[in-house]
Amino acid sequence: MKAENRFDLPQGTLDLLIMRVVALGPIHGYAIAQRIQQMSRDALQVQQGSLYPALHRLEYKKLLAATWKSSETGREAKFYELTAKGRTQLEAETENWKRLTELVGLILKGTLEGAS
Amino acid sequence: MSWLSRLIFRKKMEGDLEKELRFHFESQVADKMRTGIAEAEARRLTRLEFGGMEQIKEDCRESRGTMWFESLVQDVRYALRQLRKSPGFTLTAVLTLALGIGATTAIFTLVQQVMLQSLPVTRPDQLWRIGDRPHCCNWTGYSQDNDGQPGDWNLFPWEAYKLFRANTTGFQDLAALQAGNQALAVRCAGSAGPPETANGEFVSGNFFQTLGVSAWRGRMFVDADDQEGAPPVAVMSFHAWQEKYGSDPAVVGSTYQINGRAFTIIGVAPAGFVGATIVDWGMPDIWLPLTTEPLMLGTTSRIKDTRVDWLDLIGRVRSGTNTKALEAQLQSELYGWLASHLADMSPQERAVWQKQTLRLTPGGTGFSRLEKDYGEGLRLLMITACCVLLVAYANIANLLLARALRNRQQTAVRVALGASRGRLVRNALIECVTLSLIGGAAGVAVAWSGARLILYLAFHTLEQSTWIPVHATPSTLVLLFALGVSVLTGVIFSIAPAWMTSHAEPVEAMRGAHRAVGGGRHWAQKALVIAQAAVSVVLLSAAAMLGGSLRNLGHQDFGFNPDDRYLVSINSSLVSKYKQEQLLPLFREIQDRLSTIPGVRGVSSATYAPMSGNQMGNDIRIQGQPEPGPKDDVSADWTRITPGFFDTIGAQMLAGRAIDEDDNGNTRHVAVINEAFAKKFFGNQNPIGRRFGPGPIKNAGTYEIVGVVQNIHYVRWGFGDPARAMYYIPEAQMVQFDQPDIQSDELWSQNLGNIVIWAPRHPANIFMQVKTALAEVDPNIVIYDIQPYSRVIQGTFDQQNMIVSLAWLFGAVGLVLAAIGLYGVTAYGVEQRTSEIGVRMAVGADRSSVVAMVLRGAFWQVGIGLGIGIPAAIGLGYLMASQLFGVAPWNPLLLATATVLLGLATLVAAMIPARRAASIDPIQALRTECPTRKMSRAYLPPLGSEGWPIWCPESKVRDINHDEFLPSEMLRPLNAVAS
Repeated sequence: MKAENRFDLPQGTLDLLIMRVVALGPIHGYAIAQRIQQMSRDALQVQQGSLYPALHRLEYKKLLAATWKSSETGREAKFYELTAKGRTQLEAETENWKRLTELVGLILKGTLEGAS
Repeated sequence: MSWLSRLIFRKKMEGDLEKELRFHFESQVADKMRTGIAEAEARRLTRLEFGGMEQIKEDCRESRGTMWFESLVQDVRYALRQLRKSPGFTLTAVLTLALGIGATTAIFTLVQQVMLQSLPVTRPDQLWRIGDRPHCCNWTGYSQDNDGQPGDWNLFPWEAYKLFRANTTGFQDLAALQAGNQALAVRCAGSAGPPETANGEFVSGNFFQTLGVSAWRGRMFVDADDQEGAPPVAVMSFHAWQEKYGSDPAVVGSTYQINGRAFTIIGVAPAGFVGATIVDWGMPDIWLPLTTEPLMLGTTSRIKDTRVDWLDLIGRVRSGTNTKALEAQLQSELYGWLASHLADMSPQERAVWQKQTLRLTPGGTGFSRLEKDYGEGLRLLMITACCVLLVAYANIANLLLARALRNRQQTAVRVALGASRGRLVRNALIECVTLSLIGGAAGVAVAWSGARLILYLAFHTLEQSTWIPVHATPSTLVLLFALGVSVLTGVIFSIAPAWMTSHAEPVEAMRGAHRAVGGGRHWAQKALVIAQAAVSVVLLSAAAMLGGSLRNLGHQDFGFNPDDRYLVSINSSLVSKYKQEQLLPLFREIQDRLSTIPGVRGVSSATYAPMSGNQMGNDIRIQGQPEPGPKDDVSADWTRITPGFFDTIGAQMLAGRAIDEDDNGNTRHVAVINEAFAKKFFGNQNPIGRRFGPGPIKNAGTYEIVGVVQNIHYVRWGFGDPARAMYYIPEAQMVQFDQPDIQSDELWSQNLGNIVIWAPRHPANIFMQVKTALAEVDPNIVIYDIQPYSRVIQGTFDQQNMIVSLAWLFGAVGLVLAAIGLYGVTAYGVEQRTSEIGVRMAVGADRSSVVAMVLRGAFWQVGIGLGIGIPAAIGLGYLMASQLFGVAPWNPLLLATATVLLGLATLVAAMIPARRAASIDPIQALRTECPTRKMSRAYLPPLGSEGWPIWCPESKVRDINHDEFLPSEMLRPLNAVAS
């Protein structure tokens, strides 16, 4: 991976990404980080220092639920799942995000047309 | 999981957090190893990628939402652990705080009780009193003035009270109470034993109702009890009921002989209620309706005399009433009342009657004399206590500063390991507040015993019959005060350590700790010690000045000789109702009987004797001199005496003759005046043979002056003031005056209250013999007190005595605290310089020079402290001089003593660390301190000069400014010593 390909995540999007990844099925913290990295084609690398506070915050807000299970390597790991509340929240935020990007895109496009 | 269960399962959650992160870490390491990296390298890389594990944990905890409380609990436990780890520091700090906070809180306990406390009555905020300063006990005439404020009415006659009560609608109720007290002798009906003495107070029938005080037992007065001709009833105070009558429920409803009259006790007042007047010379034991006053006093009754003002008025104001308007209404009512008495006024009174006025003031605290009598002393003590607190603060600041310096390295390591600065600052804050709260709690204990000590010092000499409603137990307000002081202390003193924490650089942790100790911080510590030394000199000097003043007061010439004399206070007429003409033979008999006691050389009586606490005064007129103007001071004190009085008390006649046996009812009326009287009214003229009299000019020929006696100090105050004019008239001569108020005094004054006994050979059981002798004359004579006269005088200075004792105590505490502070700083300095001292001793310094070096440092600081403190003490002396008696603003001997005291304290405080420094083993010192490998050139003074750096035999010393190692030859002499 190259440093130039990496992005800084906009504020608040990390929670959305985590929920999206967790929505695919029970998953532990390390796997979440790896999955985000893979899905973004190595462009996004979530630091442990941001990931775990975010997970704990989402758990505290009852958007995620956690259970301890054996991982693929046999060690005990903490697996996160989306709660019903989390699923609703994810849908709402995904919708928000789509609308936001559309609108931002429109404006950016509009500015270019107007300037030309 | 709820907030609470999160807290309870904290341990499990902590474990889970650790396990979760550890899993991530291990997975990452495993992934790296799969790509072919060796395990050690994989771990190293992962650790680098991870950053501070603790920091992540901290962020996770924070996002859980219980952070603040969890960490608060954690921080408090951590603070307690830290404090336990250094017991010496903790003990010193707690003791210091306890002394400082304790001293202030003790004084505040008394200030609060004496000055701020409300009466324990319903809605004290609704109570207002007429008049703005407490006054005792009678005032005669239609004009009142008060400390130069003309026409300021504080006391009122009964007639005016009734007028106010009937016409002032702004008062829901207006009560009157006697401003003085009434001596009572109480005897159970049918009992023949000696009567119990008690303090009585006449109050209006609505007194308890106005204050909203209901009975503990029985009932309180109603207006029907306060009618002429109503059956005589009385209410007893809880204190008297408990102390004198053993809380006997049968008291209520029983009939008692009070001053020979049958009264029924109808009720007992509730426990906390001690009346509306707080004084230190007799709280009321029994309340009597105003209208029973003539029953008690007979011909000397004053209730119907409109010239005699003797009532304090206090009222409950209707809610919503404008008190300014109420005051104006009362003022106009006062004018109306005065106008109705224009015909009775003297010309002087008629000239100023329109200037008479009154003020309405909040009455929730009652009519306290304590504020007036003790306020100034307490304020002085409060200032002193604050000084002690400041010295204590300087100590704590110093200790904390030293501690923070010592902990710098640890703090820096913590920052490097990922502790957030906010948390560290909060840690420092919590540690300080915890410390100061422990100190505050100990301070409350100190305050409690301190207040008891102060009360003991202030009042222990008073008779048992005198009881003051001031308690040592701290109230809620006082406890809040102590808490506030503690927390404030903690917050203030956490600033220094917190500041250091927030500026701690992790890089410093990597460097040698010893570089961190710079001269600048030593300077701050030294400044605090200097300030402490200065403040303690000021405190000691103030204490010595107060002490000197008191000594001068107690040993001044009072105009009589208290040695070998005894003062007996009696009341002959409380129970036995002597007729006026029986009094003269009674006192002759008493004197004759007392004179037969072996060893007694003289006995004489007076209405009141010097410093017995009483005083009577009249405005007088001199025959042949014009009527004085309204502003002229024509007052003179007076008393009746029996023949031989001046000899008995040891006063010298200056001119003419004393009063003798020939001055009786058949001869012309004579008087002896004192020197001040002669000077005030006759200037340089010879007063012998001149005539004067009390009151209106027509009495001016009453007395002929036959002698002049030296000034005798009679009153218990004004020891620095010029002597008061006074005249003495014989017990045996009675004048018939037309004016009822003067006539009342003329009759009343024949009841002599004091007997002076001159017994140079101090008969063994004189007290018992006097009692027996008086009982033989009349068993109904009430004896209040028999005291050696020197003790009477000493008792006059009890309050000053208390202040001096406390000032000394505070001075001593300040000195001890300053010594502790000095010790702390010196010991810390020695500890920091252990290696330097080792080097010095290695290169040839002997023990005595090391001791001298340490002592020099300590004495320097104290010297500067003295340099500041002595001028400050002199300045304070000038400020205090007006309050002091015969003490110069500064006294070289006194300051020298304070200096020597402080010097001794310094010696003791500095000697302990100095001896420790001298016992340092050079080799040990050099071996134990070896962290410094790099030194800047700037830090390296020339070899052999003062302050040589910490040095290690095996280290290479590199000058980082020039990036080169110092030549090893420089180190050779030291290496030679070390190896």
